[in-house]
Amino acid sequence: MTEPATIDAAVEVRDLTRTFGARKALDRVSFDLPRGAFLSVFGPNGAGKTTLVKVLTTLTAPSKGTAKVSGFDVVADAVELRSEIGLISHNPLLYPDLSAEENLVFFADMYGVPDAAARVRELLVAVELDHRRLDLVRTFSRGMLQRLSIARALLHRPKVLFLDEPYSGLDPHAVEILDHLIEQIRADHTFVMISHDLAKGLALCSHALILAKGKVVLSAPREELDEAEFAETYRATVGLGVA
Amino acid sequence: MAGEARGLSLRQFKAILHKDIVMELRTKEMITSMGLYALLTMVIYQVALSQSGTAFDPRNIAAGLLWLAFVFTSMLGLNRSLVHEKDQGCLEALLLSPVDRPVIFFAKAIGNLIFLLIVQALTIPVFAFLFLQQGSYAGEWWMIPLALLAGAVGISGVGTLLATMSVNTKGKDFVLAVLFVPLMYPLLLAAVSATSAAVLGGDGSVQQFWTGMGMMAGFDAIMLLASFALYEFIVGA
Repeated sequence: MTEPATIDAAVEVRDLTRTFGARKALDRVSFDLPRGAFLSVFGPNGAGKTTLVKVLTTLTAPSKGTAKVSGFDVVADAVELRSEIGLISHNPLLYPDLSAEENLVFFADMYGVPDAAARVRELLVAVELDHRRLDLVRTFSRGMLQRLSIARALLHRPKVLFLDEPYSGLDPHAVEILDHLIEQIRADHTFVMISHDLAKGLALCSHALILAKGKVVLSAPREELDEAEFAETYRATVGLGVA
Repeated sequence: MAGEARGLSLRQFKAILHKDIVMELRTKEMITSMGLYALLTMVIYQVALSQSGTAFDPRNIAAGLLWLAFVFTSMLGLNRSLVHEKDQGCLEALLLSPVDRPVIFFAKAIGNLIFLLIVQALTIPVFAFLFLQQGSYAGEWWMIPLALLAGAVGISGVGTLLATMSVNTKGKDFVLAVLFVPLMYPLLLAAVSATSAAVLGGDGSVQQFWTGMGMMAGFDAIMLLASFALYEFIVGA
């Protein structure tokens, strides 16, 4: 995963550093991720996981180093890059006072999705919310919000999906639905997922990365990982604290 | 390619404006709070001036009273317009989309302008009833709406920029007030001057009105251009 970037790399990160005052949230992070891969990013609270996702999704500018997603630089090509990515967060990123359909139509307009009405209907059916399409989002359960959030993230057919603790706060049934949805779209997308759940993250991923104090502690393809050794390394990082 | 980009920007602009209007019509948060605040301010003015005696002509300070009410009312609304974007990370979702940041600025500023104009339209009749007795309005009828529009454009433009800056801060109401009032000072001077000329009439009032309007137009143009240029930096900070 740390070999030089190839044309097939969906994510290329080189010496990425992000500082907040004197604190280094990311400290010379480097890795490549091939297209179609599923990267699970682990690490204790404050390790820099969310900062990494924010930089890769253009929400935060790096202080040093470079990062490319789907071939686009996160700084120089930010506008073009935003069309290539989707974000599913533990926060639904939806307007509570708009209906499910109004939310999706709004974001379809923001991404310039052609034939928005048909695409919105298709996704509402896919996430099993078509029957609630006219209801205000503020009346939705956590699981329903997360399903609608997935529909929002997929509207513009992104190539790379970022998942920031997407399972956080979900009941077992909602977890099953989210698993099923990820499985359905897995073949056509590259995933970068932040997770505190070691078992879940390892079950889904093709590549794994552990961050601690803003630095890469371990990074390897799933098949090269020794699970016991990986769990031990992860446990050791929990004691390292905030970057 | 440029045409396509312009088409997308227009679609995004309309989507943000439409979304803000639909949400306001549904929640009535901004209009209700701003409208009530403005009306309560009028009542307080009335009480404050109730013992001023017959020798005192409230028309002399009417323009100042009116703009004082609009400045405080608009600060209340401007904060709310950005707070609902922060709810559940919606601002983040907006910033994740391939939208040029100035498009967000103009859509939010136009939305705020519409809401402020509605509040002004609700407030003016009450103000006229309380402070401008029949026959005491000496200016041309068209002067007041023009002065209100020019002032509202500046308030909405600068206010939207400053509300975006302050929305991520802890004491956002305080931060907005501290930034807003000093920056709006030249606009307020011009707005009060133009509105006074409209209310009081008399020799030289038309010239005074157009001088005030010219200053407001200049302020609006400079501040809107500055806001346009700075918005990308502000939302990215």
